Amino acid sequence: MEGPLKELTKLEKLSNGKAPSILDSLDALLRSLQDAKEAIQAGDTYEPLQPLAQVVEMRKKEVDDRQKEVYSTLSRFGKALDKKFPTSLPTYSGTFSSQSSKHAIERTVALHLLRTGQFDAAEIFIQESGVEIPPALKFQFIELHQILRALRNQDIGPALLWTEKHRSFLRSRSSPLEFYLHRSQYIRLLLSSHPPDPLLAIVYANANLRPFYNEHESEFQRLMACVAYMPLSKLQESTYRDLAQPSLHFDLEPLFAKEYCASLGMSRQLPLRVVGDIGGGGALARIEKGKKVMRERRSEWSQSDELPIEIPLLPENRYHSIFACLVSKEQSTEHNPPMMMTCGHVISKDSLQKLNKAGGRSSVKCPYCPTESQFGSALQLFF
Amino acid sequence: MTECPDLTQPHLQLIIEMESKLNTDGILLFEQPFARVPYENYRKIFRTSQKNVERELGAVLSTSKDLSSRASSRSIDQEAALKSVDGMIGRVENLKRKLSYLHETAGKPTQDVMRERLHHLATIESLQNSSQPEFSRWADTRLDRWLVDWCLRNGKENTARKIAKEKNIETLVDIDLFTGIKRIEDALSKHSCTDALAWCSENKSALRKIKSTLEFDLRLQEYIELSRLRQTTEAIAYAKKYLVSWQETHLSQIQQASALLAFPPNTRCGPYKRLYDPSRWNNLVRSFRLAIYNLNTLPTEPLLHLALYAGLVALKLPACYDHATKNVDCPVCDGESGPGLFPLGLGRLAEEVPFSHHANSTIVCRISGKIMDADNMPMAFPSGHVYSREALEEMAARNDGIVTCPRTGETCKFTALRKVFIS
Repeated sequence: MEGPLKELTKLEKLSNGKAPSILDSLDALLRSLQDAKEAIQAGDTYEPLQPLAQVVEMRKKEVDDRQKEVYSTLSRFGKALDKKFPTSLPTYSGTFSSQSSKHAIERTVALHLLRTGQFDAAEIFIQESGVEIPPALKFQFIELHQILRALRNQDIGPALLWTEKHRSFLRSRSSPLEFYLHRSQYIRLLLSSHPPDPLLAIVYANANLRPFYNEHESEFQRLMACVAYMPLSKLQESTYRDLAQPSLHFDLEPLFAKEYCASLGMSRQLPLRVVGDIGGGGALARIEKGKKVMRERRSEWSQSDELPIEIPLLPENRYHSIFACLVSKEQSTEHNPPMMMTCGHVISKDSLQKLNKAGGRSSVKCPYCPTESQFGSALQLFF
Repeated sequence: MTECPDLTQPHLQLIIEMESKLNTDGILLFEQPFARVPYENYRKIFRTSQKNVERELGAVLSTSKDLSSRASSRSIDQEAALKSVDGMIGRVENLKRKLSYLHETAGKPTQDVMRERLHHLATIESLQNSSQPEFSRWADTRLDRWLVDWCLRNGKENTARKIAKEKNIETLVDIDLFTGIKRIEDALSKHSCTDALAWCSENKSALRKIKSTLEFDLRLQEYIELSRLRQTTEAIAYAKKYLVSWQETHLSQIQQASALLAFPPNTRCGPYKRLYDPSRWNNLVRSFRLAIYNLNTLPTEPLLHLALYAGLVALKLPACYDHATKNVDCPVCDGESGPGLFPLGLGRLAEEVPFSHHANSTIVCRISGKIMDADNMPMAFPSGHVYSREALEEMAARNDGIVTCPRTGETCKFTALRKVFIS
């Protein structure tokens, strides 16, 4: 943004009274007019009036020059913006304009506002759009934010009440949430005593951390051993310095939100943010570039239901497995599933059948290694 | 062997480049209106100041010339001279006041808006990586801006104001602009062209530049309304005053409009029936919106739509629609819709976009969510269900070397799992 910012600074200088300004010229003009007035009042009617036109013309020219300066700075600023933003946004007219799409967006926005804890805005939005969100769902988001607020205030109580209620769900996900809540409390107790007195913390650990011994054996041992490195300054120098990190406590909030949402069948990230970040982070640009290339090649942007170009995604945004057979270059489908040969290499079922026919026997030679295997011994894979 | 796969590509299916590097150009593609709206606004303010200067100083100049010549011909008395000079002083003072007021109330605030927006964009230019916490904050703000933009365009002004205020992004959104647009649109919906015509005359030259015929359409509509009321004389006078000047470009429409007077509003004659059709007002709202968006370099669609379209295209896969492969974390799978059969939110929107395209394999572990690669190999149960080695090893460590498939409940020894090579 250096270019536009530089021009903007010039523009600000021109109008903020540092440079000779229009107002100066107008003041000078006013002084001349006042002088003329006083002279006339003193009885001299003609003398002061004769040069007046010239004075006015001169001052007007000054003002015009200033305006021209502003104008040219303004257009340079515009050019700098053009250079920085060379392409205007494309139009996809009609996209998401149907009534049902509008409802879908309204629902998504309402849930986004609730999930991010903007309850006042959500209430106004629900009124303005008339979107229906079940009260129970609304309440769940309110509860989530009450618990998160408590966590922020170093109160793990409400969070623990929730984890106790949902222990079997958390266990099925092998979630460390409950253990981490107690760990945070334990470390707090340990570091809050002056001079260091680990007794309270150890009593707490005995009561609350012990049940997690089997699942978190090594972490449990570390938590007990770190007691030998008190106070905080010593702990920070030790091999247990990670236990002194504030993130040990702060990370509870996102972790809790993730588990809470999962219990409602909701994603760990904010879906609107995820889609927006992908779309606004290069996907649209990539699609537009693809379209341009297609236009230059004079081929039509196919209206088929698959995009002809690939949009790169971050690993965290890969939610599904994709198997593309390297022999046929095709993505697997229900009818053309991935098949693993006895050597462990995987190709699509269609490719396997073709190789089988080409060999003319019941055995198939793997395209990747020298192994020959029986056609029938290939195993269908489920990713 | 008839087909041989390209083995020079080193296992690239499973090697996902860490693409967390920010695509600054792709991000800035969305920001042209963000930077240009206040700029266009400033140009308008400048034009206003220019008009004031011309009007007041022009008048002062002609008065002074007149005075000078009358002074040299000695044809003015003291009283008249004083009155003229006072008049000039008044005009210059008035101009001074107007210019200062304009700068304080519009010019300076707009400059501040431009500066803040450019700084906001400079932040994103200075970031390298989407994993930086600053990016997350920036993207939060961006989503808030898009939501405000969407709300303003969809008649949810109170929500827009609330979000803008709570997130303290009032200078980063265009509430005033859209409020102005809405005021004029509302007037048009109530069959009044007055505000829209005032806007046209303020932006005459810009409208001419984009070859907009909005003003003619508005004038024509006012004429039609006179004809509807059967005020023939007024209609003819109106046509003479406002329509005839468009004859170079709109002659046939003007001729048709003249003939309209011969038809009553309940006519069944096609072309004239269409002129009387009240739905023309809706078209006027639409053309006005297009024109004012165009002049302010606003895109015709909400930014949120564009971002959602591209984002959903990038994510949508057939797997999102197969019950066995749904993933609650995937926005297209739409966990927010609840357990119902039909998606209600983003999944519903995704139905409108094409599927994403992938040339290479990516195998995602259904237990850990991690992408498998040579360091974290895929392992298959005897039934063919595949998970990552890391996840299975962890499971085996907890269960004396026994692993259980979460999808089928099948159990076996870890050692009975087979390594999978996705070449």
